[in-house]
Amino acid sequence: MSGEAAIDARGVRKVFGKGALAFEALKGVDLRVDRGEFIMLAGPSGSGKTTLLSILGCVLKPSGGEVRLLGELVSALPESKLPRVRTDYIGFIFQGGNLIASLTAGQNVALQLELRGVDTRAANLQARALLEQVGLGDKVDRKPMDLSGGQRQRVAIARALAGEPPVILADEPTAALDAENGRHVTEILRDLSRRLGNTVVVVTHDNRIFHLADRIIYIEDGLIVPEGTHA
Amino acid sequence: MTAQGATAPLAIPPPAVKARPGRHVLLRWRTMVRVGLRMMVHDKLKMIGTLVGVVFAVLLSNQQAGTLMGLLKKNTMFIESSQADIWVVPPNTEQLAPGKFIPEAIAVQARGIAGVAWAEPLLFGGGQVAVPGGSSEAVTVIGTKLPGLRGGPWNMVSGTPEVLRNDDTMIFEDGVRDTLGGLNLGSVREVNGRNVQVGGFTWGLLPFGPAYAFADYDLARLLLKVESDRTNFILIGVTPGQSVTAVRDALQARFTDVQMVTTADFTKRTLRYLLVKSALGVTFGTSTAFGLIVGFVIVALTTFSAVLDNIREFGTLKAIGATNWDLAKLLFAQSIAYALLGSLIGLTLVTRVADGIRSPKFAIIITPTLAVGTTLMMIVLCIVASSFALIRLRKLEPAMVFR
Repeated sequence: MSGEAAIDARGVRKVFGKGALAFEALKGVDLRVDRGEFIMLAGPSGSGKTTLLSILGCVLKPSGGEVRLLGELVSALPESKLPRVRTDYIGFIFQGGNLIASLTAGQNVALQLELRGVDTRAANLQARALLEQVGLGDKVDRKPMDLSGGQRQRVAIARALAGEPPVILADEPTAALDAENGRHVTEILRDLSRRLGNTVVVVTHDNRIFHLADRIIYIEDGLIVPEGTHA
Repeated sequence: MTAQGATAPLAIPPPAVKARPGRHVLLRWRTMVRVGLRMMVHDKLKMIGTLVGVVFAVLLSNQQAGTLMGLLKKNTMFIESSQADIWVVPPNTEQLAPGKFIPEAIAVQARGIAGVAWAEPLLFGGGQVAVPGGSSEAVTVIGTKLPGLRGGPWNMVSGTPEVLRNDDTMIFEDGVRDTLGGLNLGSVREVNGRNVQVGGFTWGLLPFGPAYAFADYDLARLLLKVESDRTNFILIGVTPGQSVTAVRDALQARFTDVQMVTTADFTKRTLRYLLVKSALGVTFGTSTAFGLIVGFVIVALTTFSAVLDNIREFGTLKAIGATNWDLAKLLFAQSIAYALLGSLIGLTLVTRVADGIRSPKFAIIITPTLAVGTTLMMIVLCIVASSFALIRLRKLEPAMVFR
């Protein structure tokens, strides 16, 4: 699949509701993200950036258009095939971490590896190594409730990177963090993804971290604002 | 999925080799079972609530079914303890009950049939014991032949069966000593108008009807006013090594006016009568089912509510690659754990209660079959109950985690 974009979305539309209540969240978005790129999707609330991220992450079906991940036309795949795409191609970082409360930090990361088919013993070893990479080597056995917001988000980064998925999608990863933690978490994500070669798309409206992106894409009213025209 | 653009040596180990396809399936199961159990234990309050439901269901259903078993046992224990292999009973006999008669001569004639080791008549009829103060209490008088004493008495707690050799002496049930006016060894009571002396006591021989009271065969005939050539039942023992059914068939061919039933068949016949024709089966069946239904509803509600409480976590699991089937494994693991744990606690409690309240009049019998049966039933019910939650999860869009 070399030479192809990591993400290639063309004419992506998404309509919520029906009839008079129908709302068009995306109005034909074209987006290409090259392999290894670290981009940010910015825009006001309700502009459609999270909807676009959900479609790129194969957790939401587009109403129109097509999405390719590493050349595979994922938007055409039936619902039953999408969990495999998500485990094989995508690592998610959610706003607030969305860790499983009953699992320790290590188990949360290992779970993602096990879902990717890695044996439990190897998964546990790699989870520990990943947590060390995000500076949480001493928090492997802590549960999410015993971690700070920044630490939880770092666990979420480790989980997303587990198994080295080619694409990482992050939704407002700094929303619940203060400026310093937000920057630190984004730096960790950028540095590790650089070293591992992941393609990263971060949805954010936190302009304090814009400088860390290779490219910033603005989205407004369901459309991508052409580069150079954003105010 | 090799790392691209890696510019520095990584401290992260290379991706571990993925499991083989067959092993992958096993790994998925193990992973989801483990996550399910951890989620279950994490929410302790909900776990206790669900367990209370299962324990309650197991307690109630076992208490009801165990009581039914106890009652049934009390009504079949006489047949099972009689030492007989074959019973000669009046035609159309549905259970062990007094009332009908057969020729006593069959006992003598039966001894001549090949394979018959012994044959003894048994009298079985209603008696009234005059109690000091003027009232009377019913007993079932059993007339049993000396010296064999086939058909009892057994389970003696005071005296010996041989005491029946003494004139006008009977053995009564310990559990009705107070009811019969404070019986003691040597007490004298009037039974069906004849004075008899208490020579001993049995323990726990209390059927659904009046308690058993044993007398020598001839005394019983006088008490029950049975004609000299009639009897109620004949007990037959088969020579060791002979086929019981073959002897039964031979006897039936010889004596066509009576029914020959094996002890096992007579037990089944009595059970069938009690369960189907009396209200016993319906009454206890309903309350047992009620217990199971209550447990089912509690488990269904708590499982559903636990899923709703953790809906974001389930959404996250779906987003990171868990399938609906994976979530089903998780819920099924929880269901089975709840059923097993709840059954263990419930069965422990009910057996303790059964031991505590056991008396000659009342016994809860928890057999291994009943214990295993209710546990399996709880597993099925808990899995079905969790299926409601699964329907909710099937409809759950993983995109909800972005909202």
